[in-house]
Formats: sequence, C-alpha cells, structure tokens
Amino acid sequence: MTNSRRDIFKFAGGAVAGALFTPAPWRLITDTALWSENWPGIPRPARGEIRAKFTNCALCPAGCAVRARCVGEQPVSLAGVHGGLCPFGLTGHHLPYHPARLKQGPIEEAKAAVRKRAPDGIAILDLNPGRTVSWTYRRAMASLQGLYLAPESQPVAYDLSAAKTVLSIGAPLLDGWGTPANVNAARQNFRLIQAEAVESRTAVLADEWIPLAPGTERAFAQEILGALQGERTSVVARELTADGSSFVLGDAPEIPEINRLLGAYGKIIVAPSEAPVPEPWKKSAAAITRLADVPDHSIGVLLIDESNAASYIPWHFIEPKLTGDNPLVVTFAATRGGYARHAQYALPIAVYPELTDDIAPAVDSIHPTFRISVPLVAPVVTPPAGLANPADFVGALAGVPASNALRERADAIHQSAEGAIVTYADGKETPVKDLTADAFWKSLNQGARWDRPPGLSSLVPAASRSTLRPAEPIESSADLPLIAIREPHNPALVSPLMTKLYQESGLRLAPNRVALNPDDARAAHVPNGARAVLQTRIGRCSVEVTVDPAVPPGAVQVGGSPGIQDVCGPAARVKVVPA
Amino acid sequence: MTLRGPIVFAAGVLAALGAGWAGFPRVIYQTHRQPVDFSHQIHADKAGSKCDDCHAFRADGTFAGVPTLDKCSGCHAAAMGSTVAEKNFIERFVTPQREPEWLVYARQPENVYFSHITHVKRANLKCERCHGNQGTSNTLPPFQQDRISGYSRDIWGHAGRPAMTMDACVACHRQSHLEHSCLDCHK
Repeated sequence: MTNSRRDIFKFAGGAVAGALFTPAPWRLITDTALWSENWPGIPRPARGEIRAKFTNCALCPAGCAVRARCVGEQPVSLAGVHGGLCPFGLTGHHLPYHPARLKQGPIEEAKAAVRKRAPDGIAILDLNPGRTVSWTYRRAMASLQGLYLAPESQPVAYDLSAAKTVLSIGAPLLDGWGTPANVNAARQNFRLIQAEAVESRTAVLADEWIPLAPGTERAFAQEILGALQGERTSVVARELTADGSSFVLGDAPEIPEINRLLGAYGKIIVAPSEAPVPEPWKKSAAAITRLADVPDHSIGVLLIDESNAASYIPWHFIEPKLTGDNPLVVTFAATRGGYARHAQYALPIAVYPELTDDIAPAVDSIHPTFRISVPLVAPVVTPPAGLANPADFVGALAGVPASNALRERADAIHQSAEGAIVTYADGKETPVKDLTADAFWKSLNQGARWDRPPGLSSLVPAASRSTLRPAEPIESSADLPLIAIREPHNPALVSPLMTKLYQESGLRLAPNRVALNPDDARAAHVPNGARAVLQTRIGRCSVEVTVDPAVPPGAVQVGGSPGIQDVCGPAARVKVVPA
Repeated sequence: MTLRGPIVFAAGVLAALGAGWAGFPRVIYQTHRQPVDFSHQIHADKAGSKCDDCHAFRADGTFAGVPTLDKCSGCHAAAMGSTVAEKNFIERFVTPQREPEWLVYARQPENVYFSHITHVKRANLKCERCHGNQGTSNTLPPFQQDRISGYSRDIWGHAGRPAMTMDACVACHRQSHLEHSCLDCHK
C-alpha cells in the first residue's frame, strides 16, 4: 500500500484537529504572552529593604523637602515632607535615566582648550546663582580677572505674608514663582489681581482676572504708574493704595517705580538674606555683573553653568558679548537642548537627584536658609565617559579649591551659632549652638534644613530699579501679525511620564509647542497638531501647533523650549506658517 | 466508499493527542529537583509544626516566605535521625552554612502585589486554599519550569493543587464580593 499526497493532507488535518484537544496550542499561546512580559529590556521592580531617605529638591529654588521611598539604595517614589511636591519634583528620580540626557563630552579636551585661551576675556555665566558653587565661580573669576555673570535675577526677596493686595502683571505667582508652601500659606491673607492676556492657572486661582489685550502689559503698567503719580485715575491703582500694603509683580520696567510709590520697598520687598559665607571668600570674590553691563565683543572664553538653571537667557542677548574672533564657549549641561547648540564643548553634568549641591534662596525667602540636595542615587553616567563637575573644572583653572566648599560653608554657618536646623526624619528643630560642627554637617547631609529666625534677618530696602531684563521694545508690524505670550520656565529635564501627562491634560504647553486661537490658526493654514514654523525678527524655529479657543485672537502662546526663547522675546511679534 | 480516508485522519488525530498530552509536557517543562528532600508530613506529624511556625510573618506584617537556614538550624544543628535526606541536608547546607536555593512553586509576575497577611489574617483563608495539599505531602514534588514563560507548572493548577493564576484570584474575589479594581493586585 502506498501513501498518496492526499493521505498526507488527511493525516495532517487529523493532527491539527487532534492538537486542538491537547494543552499544546493553548499552552503555547499563554506562554508566548507571558514570555513577552519578561523579555530582556523590560524593567523589573527593585527588591530589597524598604527605607526612607531625605533630601531637598534641586529642580528650582523652592528647594522643597523630599522624602524618598527607597528599595535598597534605589529611590522608587518621591513625596513632599509636610507638604506636596510639584509634578516635576514628584518624578525627579526618573531624571538620571532620561533618554535625552547628555552622557559624554570631551572634558579633558575642553579643559585644555580653556587653559590655552584663559584668561583672555574669560567669563562664567551662572544660571542658578546664589549657591555655594557660585562663590567658587566668583573666587575663580577674581583670580583670573574674569567676569562672573548672573541673569538679571531678582536681587530682592518678597515677603508675601506682609502683603494685602498683589497685582501680578503676567507673573506666574501661583504656578512656580516662589516656594509653593510659602505662597499657599500666605495666599488667604492677600487679594490677588492677575492682569494678563490669557486665563493662566494663576489667573484662574486669582481673586480677580483682568484680561489684557496681548502685548499691552506695559501700557497697563504705565497706566497704573500714571494714576499713582496723579496724572490719571485707575480703579486698580486706587485698590492698590487703599490698604497700604500692596506691591506689583511683572516684567515691565515701570514696576520698580510703582512699587516705590506704593511704599513696598523695605516692607514687602526686602534685600535677600544669604546664609553666612566664609570671610576669605567674600574678600576674594569677583563682583556680580549683569550681562547687559558687559561691553560687546569683550568675552573670549565663556563658561556656562546650566545645572538646574532657574532661567534661560536667549542666545541673541549673549552672542553680541562674545569676541568676533573665534570665541570659545563651554557649557555644563544636562541636555543638548540649551546652550549646547551654540557651544564648542558641551560637558555632561550630574542631575538631580544624583548631584550634591546646595539650593539658592527662593524669591520669596526673606530669611537666610541653607539646605543641600543630597544624592539619592549614584551617578548613572560613570567613567570612562564620566561627568564634569563645573566647580572643580572652574576652580582648577584658577587654583581655587572647590571640592570641600560645601563643608566650609556649613562650618561658617555653624560658627555663626545662629538659627536652627530642622531634621525631617524626626521633625525636630535643634538650635545650631547645641550641635557640633560634625553633627551639623551630618544633619545637612541627611536632608536637613538650616534657617535663621526672622528677628535676625536684615530688612534692607532694595534699590528701586528694574532688576529684570529690560523689556524689548514693542514691535509693530503687519507682516508679523501675532504677539507671543511665553509659558513659565520649565526645568531642562522633565520626566517623559510627566511630559505625557501635562500634554494630555492640557496643564502646560509642551516646550516645543505653540497654541493659537482657532481663527488665527485658520488664517495661518495650520491645523491642530500640525508642524509649523514660528517666525520672528530674530529667526525661525520649528514648532508643533495646538489650536485652543482659550488663546485670545492675535496672540500665540509659546512653549518654553530654549529654541523658541532664542527667537522669541517678551512681547515679540511673530508669525506662524505651515512647515 | 472506502474507509481509508477516515482512518488516516483518525490516525492523525490520535498521533496529535498522544504527542500533545504525553510528549508536549515533557518538552515544554524542564524538571528541577528541590535542593533538599523535605517532608512537610514528618514535620507536621513528628515535630507538631504548624504552617506558620516556619512560614511566619515578620513583626511589620510582611511574609517571610520560605524559612532561612537559621530557622532550620534551630532544630537541625546536628543530624536528627539517620535518613539520607537528613544527612545530605546537614552536610550540604547546615555545616557549610549555605542557604538552600529553594524553588518557589507559587512565584508570581513582578507586576503582581500579593499580601499574605491580608489573606490569612483578614480573610481567614487556609493555606490549603491556594497551596493545596503541600503541607501534608511527604516529598516535595519536582519543580517543573515552563521553558518559555519561566513559571512553575503549579501556577496553572497541577496534580491536585489549585491554580494560582489571575483568573483564579479574580474568581475568588468575585465570589467574595471583593472585586474592587485592578489596583488591588497591580499597584
């Protein structure tokens, strides 16, 4: 008997039918599904002893106290201590693993290049001034006869608890302006009037929102100033003067004068107090120079510290200050998105929560305070690539020892014998004079916070001049029909998880996005979600478009990416065209 | 009409059934022996041990799982009896102070959160409800590991033991009206 081809098919058909009545196919389906849950690359939850570590969030000057739930040495979740954390802070432990993180750079080559050029017009731009490392930079620049540059940040501090009425002209008072705990604690004691073109998160939570036409913020400030000088009448100005304890926040150059007329200086707006600094540092530190005061074409070597930058200075403000003859720019950055686009050398740095750094005082911190962001994880980027330590790099150029600066600062604070330290693990407050220097240092390295009590702070009235970057002249142009409204500054690195939530919930515009009113979007022929080009007098930038009826006609809300900020100043006129 | 066609088809069916039921389990499961030939029955009968004498809760309520060598050494510092299993245990583990690498039949995926104390103390479930007759067995069954998924064959219910799959958990929670949300188990 011979088997035909038909027999083979019949046998195979029978085998297939029979197999369905065995566990084999069903087991294989299940196993394949389970295998796909466990294939290489799938992250596995850490196993080990669960304990808590304490640190201070370094993502912004608010420096919120953080309790990290750790499995072994690995933080798996962050929470605030006696208060909440912002969404950026809640996901801070993701940042060392961020895919966009800068992980390698020619550190030795950059060092040699700077040594070769220094001190030929050397300067350092510190985008997070007020830290201990800032003193190292100042000492190094004094030694090299260079310049220590800081953004035109507020050289004043605001005592919100002393205010009864606050007029905010576009400032994000309730959305990342100061320390959330301070702002929320003082909030019920003052009336907040928010004047701006869009109904921002601060506007929603304000007692009154005054919708302004886009680009008229400065005119509004001039109107208030005129009313205070008796030249005209204004309901808002009358309200500000009625209770005798008011101040105005915003970017307009008229605001310092308004605050002077309101009598806010010395009462609400005070000189910021700094934690004690070793005396030798003060004697050998370069002065703080505003970028605007630097002569054009005078900087040959520019070092930029972008670590946890509190702000971003658009490149078109910096570029004119560099020498025309092949200037050297070295940036210490966590990503390639900032000044790395303009620098010859972009050197990777440690990011929160793997870095050890103290936190600059917040704008609403009227008393001296000192806290250290204690590392929660070991640096993820390890040799041979390695991370650059900006303080060591700059200190080595000038022979200024930097590695022990935090301890020296802590010792200076301890020697002052003032204030008390709060340890979050047990919630205890211990006067500094009751601690040894070593115990004080140990507490700081366990995430504790030092504060000097209110009675000892120096409330010196600040100079009543504009401390912000001068507002750019308001352009008027028919070919650039829209006025840009900027979103608040975001940290350079944001967890991809938070980015997704923010975008999907509409809480914050993604850094590379712009939002347009439907009528303006139609006129520009850009649909929702489309790629487009944002065009200004300074340049062009690729963006993605969100169509949002909440944006007033004639305005475009722009995200906070450095690329957008480089081409788009405050009140800049812009055009959105299809890509 | 010839019967040749149906016979060939039936032969195919029978061949597949044989391969599927007898051959497939031998291929898909890799059999490992436990490091110690342990008898739950002897410990229960002769030593009068209860489950939670060895599989205890810690002070903070977490489940200690399989006891460590310290616990065993409390009684087995020296050989108790003259069985081969006892001799092996003392020589291979107690004397060199080496932890036995037990293979856990009930190991669950990483994305599953399971609290023993909630089920034992609050729901008053008996150990047998999930672990079957393990506590009265004289020998530990071989650990049959699925070559593809890596899990024990016992997870799906095998040789008289109840399944410990998600379906089994859901069925029990549903029966007890405790089916709240995915986050009960997937934190």
